[in-house]
Amino acid sequence: MWLWFSKLGSPKWFYELSGKWLPWLAAGMSLLLIVGIIWALLFVPPDYQQGDTIRIMYVHVPFASISLAFFPLMAVAGTITLVWRMKLADMVAKTAAPLGAWFTALALASGSIWGSDIWGTWWIWDGRLTSMLLQFFLLVGVISLRSALEDADAAAKACALLSIVGCINVFVIKYSVDWWNTLHQPSGSFSLSDEAPNPPEVWVPLVIMIVAVYLFFVVSLILSTRNEILERERRSQWVQELIGAN
Amino acid sequence: MTAQTVTTFQAFKATLKRDLLIAYKRKNDMVNPFMFFLIVASLFPIGISPDPDRLAEIASGVLWISALLASLLAMDNLFRSDYEDGSLEQLLLSPHPLYFLVLAKNISHWLVSGLPVALVSPLVAYMLNLPGESYFTLFITLLIGTPVLSLLGSIGVALTVGLGSRGLILAVITLPMSVPVLIAGTLTVQQTLNGASLAGYLAILAAMLFAAVSFAPLASAAALRISVK
Amino acid sequence: MFESIQFSSFGDFVEMGGYAFNVWSVYALFLLFFFINLYFPILKRKQIMREQKRRLLVNREKVSIDSKLSNNEMDKNDS
Repeated sequence: MWLWFSKLGSPKWFYELSGKWLPWLAAGMSLLLIVGIIWALLFVPPDYQQGDTIRIMYVHVPFASISLAFFPLMAVAGTITLVWRMKLADMVAKTAAPLGAWFTALALASGSIWGSDIWGTWWIWDGRLTSMLLQFFLLVGVISLRSALEDADAAAKACALLSIVGCINVFVIKYSVDWWNTLHQPSGSFSLSDEAPNPPEVWVPLVIMIVAVYLFFVVSLILSTRNEILERERRSQWVQELIGAN
Repeated sequence: MTAQTVTTFQAFKATLKRDLLIAYKRKNDMVNPFMFFLIVASLFPIGISPDPDRLAEIASGVLWISALLASLLAMDNLFRSDYEDGSLEQLLLSPHPLYFLVLAKNISHWLVSGLPVALVSPLVAYMLNLPGESYFTLFITLLIGTPVLSLLGSIGVALTVGLGSRGLILAVITLPMSVPVLIAGTLTVQQTLNGASLAGYLAILAAMLFAAVSFAPLASAAALRISVK
Repeated sequence: MFESIQFSSFGDFVEMGGYAFNVWSVYALFLLFFFINLYFPILKRKQIMREQKRRLLVNREKVSIDSKLSNNEMDKNDS
């Protein structure tokens, strides 16, 4: 078990394994993405209320759902960094933060474009939008802390701690914002997800898109983490050999 | 030998006393957050409208946001001077649990920055035309809420204490974290105006305070160990 | 599930039932984001590789020169 764990933490091992997996992941991602986008754009019937804007759901929902995974991911990576000092966990955490900010920003942008017709405005202080916005701010905080601290080791630990605190905070913020929102809008604004039971031709492409975007997230996380490994381990023997052979 | 065995409680008291004494000697640091609170709160009527009805509507939010900004501003001198003169390192080397020492520093910091703001808030509330019946609620919420802000802020300060210029990064880290407190505080004050029962709201604020007292100093202590070497 | 394509003509497809701007801007943002997030890591990887290779070659040369001068100065070439 411990052997396996320390092996898992070795950047070299991750680099080699991810190199083997990457083509498969990328192929799966491309296939699902093409199928999902074509299905969503061409074959999904227009919604009886929202018309063709329902097609935005196939971009928005995957991004929004993955955005929620970033803080838990960073908190787990942070715990591993603080407890076991595993270098790989910090590399993942470092690349996850900007990626998370991007995902959150895109979820916000697509949500607001989708909502612009339903709500009649680009932005409302709806519970979900507000907590997403605050999550974006928290992610920016982690990124700026990372760039402000020069010592890599201190930055790793500080960001790990901030991610853990931030993860707890994201949940508290989510509940308090929902609470705030229900009190300020007792009538309840139009909710995007509470729709009538959906037929399979609506949710099957959604599942495909969610899996595709998840794969996209994994692929881009792996790509950036590999870069991070190459940069940080550039003094080590195996990276020198790898570059020499290239 | 007996003189050297100091209990944790004594160390806690000593840290508290020392910090209060330092704050007393540097009266500027004590007055500034308080003045900042007054100035920010008085900018709102100038910026929005002197109309009493409109002011009454936003007063609780204005007071809470001003208190939040004042506490953020005051955060800067929580660990900085100690970091610069090396006494923070001494604190880390002490055999007592860092949790209590950090808590002592937080309490003394709140006594000189948060408490004055809470005390003066009814006066500013009057100037902002907040309806009379909610003065007391406002005071209570600030009394419970400002220590939470200090405790949360101290995590951010502890993380950034080694940085040369950290004003903005501290704000970026700390302000989003303070949102739940802001929500609970302003909602409680607004509920007074609706005549609803406050027990539940105050219980939530109190729960935040207890959670912050029990966990935030732990996080601050861990952060200090990371950033001070 | 694949009963039919929901649009009768290409013009209809572009129009998206009157929501052309909303739908297409979201998909454009998505694709832009998608390519940026794959392109930049790949670009960066090439950059790192080039940089490291250059460094490696410089180091090798230095080592060979230094070893002629003295065998003890190898440590300095690390950076």
